[in-house]
Amino acid sequence: MANFSTGDRMRKPKGDRRSTEISLVIRQTMEACILTHLMPRSQIDIFVQVLQADGGTRSACINAATLALQDAGIPMRDIVTSCSAGYLNSTPLLDLNYVEDSAGGPDVTVGILPTLDKVTLLQMDAKLPTNTFEDVMQLAIEGCKAVANYIREVLLENTKQLECRRGL
Amino acid sequence: MVGLSEGEQEFIKGGIAQDLRSDGRKRYTYRPIYVETGVIPQANGSARVRMGSTDVIASVKAELGRPSAMQPDKGKVAIFVDCSPTAEPTFEGRGGEELSAELSSALQHCLLGGKSGAGAGIDLSSLVVVEGKVCWDLYIDGLVISSDGNLLDALGAAIKAALSNTGIPSVHVAAEAASDEQPEVDISDEEFLQFDTSGVPVITTLTKVGKHYIVDATLEEESQMSSAVSISINRQGHICGMIKRGGVGLDPSVILDMISVANFVSRQLMDKLDSEIAAADADEDES
Repeated sequence: MANFSTGDRMRKPKGDRRSTEISLVIRQTMEACILTHLMPRSQIDIFVQVLQADGGTRSACINAATLALQDAGIPMRDIVTSCSAGYLNSTPLLDLNYVEDSAGGPDVTVGILPTLDKVTLLQMDAKLPTNTFEDVMQLAIEGCKAVANYIREVLLENTKQLECRRGL
Repeated sequence: MVGLSEGEQEFIKGGIAQDLRSDGRKRYTYRPIYVETGVIPQANGSARVRMGSTDVIASVKAELGRPSAMQPDKGKVAIFVDCSPTAEPTFEGRGGEELSAELSSALQHCLLGGKSGAGAGIDLSSLVVVEGKVCWDLYIDGLVISSDGNLLDALGAAIKAALSNTGIPSVHVAAEAASDEQPEVDISDEEFLQFDTSGVPVITTLTKVGKHYIVDATLEEESQMSSAVSISINRQGHICGMIKRGGVGLDPSVILDMISVANFVSRQLMDKLDSEIAAADADEDES
């Protein structure tokens, strides 16, 4: 995370607990879906640089990592998309920003493999009754699917441009 | 970066000797420079500068603090550079610390004055709120996103652009407080004072390869350098700071020659930078 990414300037940009935790989360999510057996004896380094943190940081990191891996042509089971949702004033809210996140309500982060329809990441803080939790999680999953559609469009557009440049 | 073969090294040195570099530039030509301001809305000021493949972001954050006892009428500025692992995998964890420290101290030499605060490129007395008690602390953070040589010039340009984009909130000081108490201050959310950057210098690095100097070296050309001199010059043509890097000793006459070349080259860079910053600010105002 950059020094200037949070509201109050961070003194130490590397090795702080939040960065380490987000790194671990990304690693576990990606390890589950990259086909590592197709690339023996090699290491894949994923570096994510956060320029500005305004809520939903780990979701943005996972989506960025997915796009970068697809751009690099690394074989994956499916793309991973992530979105967060919360519950304030008896309303489920999709994609909380920093102000809404600091309001003290719960924050559910979900990461899914959209085509296989499987959840790979689920994190929540604060309290939530079980039936409300189902609604909030459903909302987050729908958010993930919307992100997945957008990512697929972008990747398709990119491939078409590459085709053009190669003269195909 | 992959190592260069003997043939490639000779090609680079030979090209520079003949005033025709690997990418077709002449010795004193900069790569195309792109400036965007206001890229980090949360910061008081920010800018992104791209010189060829070198990409850096600078952000300015202002916080209220106490001025130092030795200079009660000046604000404080701290410059810190971070090298992101997205630029080079070796910058991961503590790998980029040495380069970050070198760049931070080089920028401090060039832009901030000596220990007494005299001769600073940035005017610190405009940052004071209540003399001796309250002043603005500016934290200037540089982030290297992509590295292809000439990081110091790019960071200097980004800092100049970020400062021109910086808005310091105006402060209303409450009624007289006792002499040893901190006065109450009210930071306005509405009014902003634009920082005056006409005196901020621009850094020009001259890299000596063989017998000739080049400006704006790429990473490959830097690997062939014998020494490099970075000079910060302001609009009046005064030298605000100078650093020499590299192991090979330089004859004093060579250094004087480099200074006069830097004077000439920095004019072009300053004009280009000022027009890019003005264009970027105009774009920002429109959107």
